[in-house]
Amino acid sequence: MREQRRKDAVWKFLTYSFILVMTVAMMVPLYWMIVAATLPQEEFIQFPPRLYPGTHFFENFAVLHAETEFVVSIWNSVFIAVVYTVLSVLLCSMAGFAFAKYEFRFKEPIFYLILATLVLPIQLLVIPLFLMMSQIGWMDTFRAIILPWLANPIGIFLMRQNMRSIPDALLESARMDGATEFQIFYRIALPAMRSSLAALAIILFLFQWDLFLYPLVILESSANYTIPVALSGLEESRRINYDQIMVASSLAIIPLAILFLVLQKQFVSGILAGSLKE
Amino acid sequence: MSTKHTSDGYHRLWDRFRSFRRELTERTPSLTRSQVAYLLISPFFVLFGLFLLFPIVYTIYLSFFEYQGVGDGRLFYVDLGPIFFEVPRIAELQFVGFGNYTSMLADGLFWQSMFNTTYILAIQVPIMIGLALALALALNAGFVRFKGVFRTAIALPVSANIVAYSTIFLILFNETGFINYLLSVVGVQPIEWMRSEFWARKTIVGAVTWRWTGYNMIILLAGLQTIPQQLYEAAEIDGASRWEKFRYVTLPQLKPVLLFVVVLSTIGTFKLFAEPYVITGGGPTNATITIVQYIYEEAFVGSPNLGYASALTVVFVAIVSVISIVQIKIGGDD
Amino acid sequence: MASEYMSQNTMYGRLGRRRLMTGAAALSGAALAGCVGTGDPDDDDSDDTDSDEMADEIEAWGWDVAARSLELTAEEYEAEHDATINVEEHGQDAMKEDLRSRLTGGSGAPDVAMLELIDGPAEIGTGAVQDITDRVDEAGIEADFVDGAWASLVEDDSIYALPWDIGPTAVFYRRDIYDEHGLDADEIETWDDFQEQGEQLPDDIYMFNIPENDLDGVWRYQFRQLGNQPFTDDGEVNIHNDDSVMIAETLKELYDAGLASTYDGWSTEWFNGYGEGEIASLPSAAWMEGTLRDELPDTAGNWGVYRIPAHEEGGPRASNWGGSSLMIPSQIESAEQNRAFDYVKWSLATDEMQLLMYDEYGLFPALETTYDHDDVFDEELDFYDGQAARRLFADVAEEMPEYEYSVDTPYVSDAINNEFLRMLRDDEDPEETVIAAAEYVADRTDRDLA
Repeated sequence: MREQRRKDAVWKFLTYSFILVMTVAMMVPLYWMIVAATLPQEEFIQFPPRLYPGTHFFENFAVLHAETEFVVSIWNSVFIAVVYTVLSVLLCSMAGFAFAKYEFRFKEPIFYLILATLVLPIQLLVIPLFLMMSQIGWMDTFRAIILPWLANPIGIFLMRQNMRSIPDALLESARMDGATEFQIFYRIALPAMRSSLAALAIILFLFQWDLFLYPLVILESSANYTIPVALSGLEESRRINYDQIMVASSLAIIPLAILFLVLQKQFVSGILAGSLKE
Repeated sequence: MSTKHTSDGYHRLWDRFRSFRRELTERTPSLTRSQVAYLLISPFFVLFGLFLLFPIVYTIYLSFFEYQGVGDGRLFYVDLGPIFFEVPRIAELQFVGFGNYTSMLADGLFWQSMFNTTYILAIQVPIMIGLALALALALNAGFVRFKGVFRTAIALPVSANIVAYSTIFLILFNETGFINYLLSVVGVQPIEWMRSEFWARKTIVGAVTWRWTGYNMIILLAGLQTIPQQLYEAAEIDGASRWEKFRYVTLPQLKPVLLFVVVLSTIGTFKLFAEPYVITGGGPTNATITIVQYIYEEAFVGSPNLGYASALTVVFVAIVSVISIVQIKIGGDD
Repeated sequence: MASEYMSQNTMYGRLGRRRLMTGAAALSGAALAGCVGTGDPDDDDSDDTDSDEMADEIEAWGWDVAARSLELTAEEYEAEHDATINVEEHGQDAMKEDLRSRLTGGSGAPDVAMLELIDGPAEIGTGAVQDITDRVDEAGIEADFVDGAWASLVEDDSIYALPWDIGPTAVFYRRDIYDEHGLDADEIETWDDFQEQGEQLPDDIYMFNIPENDLDGVWRYQFRQLGNQPFTDDGEVNIHNDDSVMIAETLKELYDAGLASTYDGWSTEWFNGYGEGEIASLPSAAWMEGTLRDELPDTAGNWGVYRIPAHEEGGPRASNWGGSSLMIPSQIESAEQNRAFDYVKWSLATDEMQLLMYDEYGLFPALETTYDHDDVFDEELDFYDGQAARRLFADVAEEMPEYEYSVDTPYVSDAINNEFLRMLRDDEDPEETVIAAAEYVADRTDRDLA
């Protein structure tokens, strides 16, 4: 018994050490980014490097604010990403459910087609999509940024994989109780997928959040710029304005951190267990 | 008063919505399961057909031509009364058949970029997935406290803007950067990260791993949490060890999600673009130029070789799709 | 909720299916039509320049100080004309990507866009840049610009852009450091002299910097200085000729002698190196004048300029590094094109505007007629300890050989950067280095070696 407790203690120690080491490794570059945001550019690149924050944050922010409409850009990015995420989560979980739990013709070829669209490099889609958007008069609009990527293959794939772990018996018993197929989808499948939906939301949000070349080409007025597009304007012909980029990306982390925290409580184990017991 | 009124209003609206929905459900003829399935995937096809079909068809089409320059005038128009769609002739094209495809065979830089990408992939993906799985398991352990804090901290790198994070790595791995500073503290000679093929590739591996490990951890964590708790309870009753629980419960149950992470990471690393573009610029001596970066440069830098870039894309998509399908088949997904 | 969404979708599907199908068929039909080449080119009025009508409002794109210079001339232009010029400042790479998409996509391009000379042939080669030969001839301004600035903007005797600024080369040097250690700038005529003088410096001061991220820039100004072209008239690769070998040897010798630091150009270490007196000389171009003034104000009065050294005694000492132009996309309607050219002509072909931009942002004019303004060019600059540095640049500008960039310039840059870096770092042979570079270019571009 004591042997077992000792082993458990060692195991706990190792687990915590691993988590802590990884956390530190992940935080160092971010910490340094925030330090950089608080320094004037000259102090930022020196050897040995400075390891603690300075007092230049507001000066750097003032320059950033003067040169870009950065606060507006944060709002645009958040708005686009949120609308996109909500719509796409619904769409992807519907399709994912169909692929995981139903049989239909051409199921496999269609799935592999979706997979192939996942491989497409966005860089090459930009020119034809630009052409389309300018033809239908959607240039400089958010819908042009949101709609083409709604049917997100990553999302469909993820939901397909996760929905497969829902026991068929559970769905069958619901059918026996007279539930329609749609009720099964949104009463049973979706709730069982809470943590996966949260992960999916993160994936989709980030996908849209990171898009650069496409919005760069589509968005024309600076009042509509997303964060990456606004940041691209900070690059001078020869020098990069590190200080402002660091301020901007430090600030840009905040919406993502909020997203993680909001989705936090979806990550609790045993949900499926609960629904099975009912 | 007014609040109550509005909330009444909401309730009335909600009730009407519910009765409408009930009515609708009753009136809708009961659908067969495959009809439901088609309904569920139809939004995908509508959006796909509207927005992605044209770019894809156009890319395949372009891959058989050599781009000669911008065209003028109108190639084609569709007039359907309310819908008017014009396809301008955007390019002067010369038909070359499979010419673009055959010249690929002799294109050293194409093979170089395929090699670079595969090399980075072969090192990066296993490391990242190993770390992500270990982290997900650790953070799923019952005894660990402050899970939310750790989870957020480890996942945050993914939120860093790509230019900013590439810049940070560029500076961290600079010859006079932080990493070499740390090395000098422990007495190691500074490493010229960006100037040796070996280290430049490792820098890219490090950067990509740093950014995406937390992201994969989140997905795996979500997968772990869909595993029914009863299975563990049953295994415990049978006296299973920690390893046995992992081997016989976690791993098989997690397999679909693990497969997803492997396929997604493989494709993601194959599509690697921003990191080499910003951190190493593809150098030194093209040692880190990736296939998508090469495609991009063919299309956007120098003369626009749109035809060749399209052919490269077609081949790239074909190769990576086959690899993904093989992974899925080997992963035992059926 | 989901079912609600679904049923709407079905309705949409029922109503819209036929229409959608037709649309999809039309799209694939469009692809086929292009395949056979039977497109019906609509008579677009963007080509005819008969109309004299001028648009009231146009848009111009640039980056950095170039964009700010355009804002300057736009203000002056608006004061005298009844028109609005909207100048948009972009990031450099972002603008190149955005512009490229809009040029190849055939719509959405600005009315006026900045075009670096080095990118000239590639952009002109897209067929998306308007031929302005007739307009330039009509205005009679071709001869007003420096000869050496035109080559990359002219294709088959047609002119596609007006030269804006150029970069006559020179070596900037720290007078105080030279004086302190007994170096004499007047003694430097060749690179050998340069090395000899440099050897008088103590070990902790470098004679100059070799920017390892911009080796092609270094190679190119010297290659041009010696009057070479990267490709022969027959299109053969010519970057491995004797001059190129000589340049590689010169560079390697200076490097091996330990005279050069190797900071990346424009990096903070690099600026610090010059600011703190760690590096004594800076081979660069006229645009560096303003940059030094802005970035290193504390060193005012300590700088001087001399011509870049020759490779052999009595050899040429004039070249060019960088430069840009303004172009008009061909997709623009004629009224906009008229206004755009009027504005471009006003900005680039008048002494007043060119000198205004030079004064304010240090863009060295490609407009030769400006050099007659002695008050500007003979001015003794305090920053350079009273030297009339601008006159030196103007003289170099008039002497610099023509140099033709091409669509394959990016391959030349890659090859030189990669191979020269290898040569310096791994002690490779200069001749083998330039041959390897030439072979790389030949391979990438399907050309033969000259």
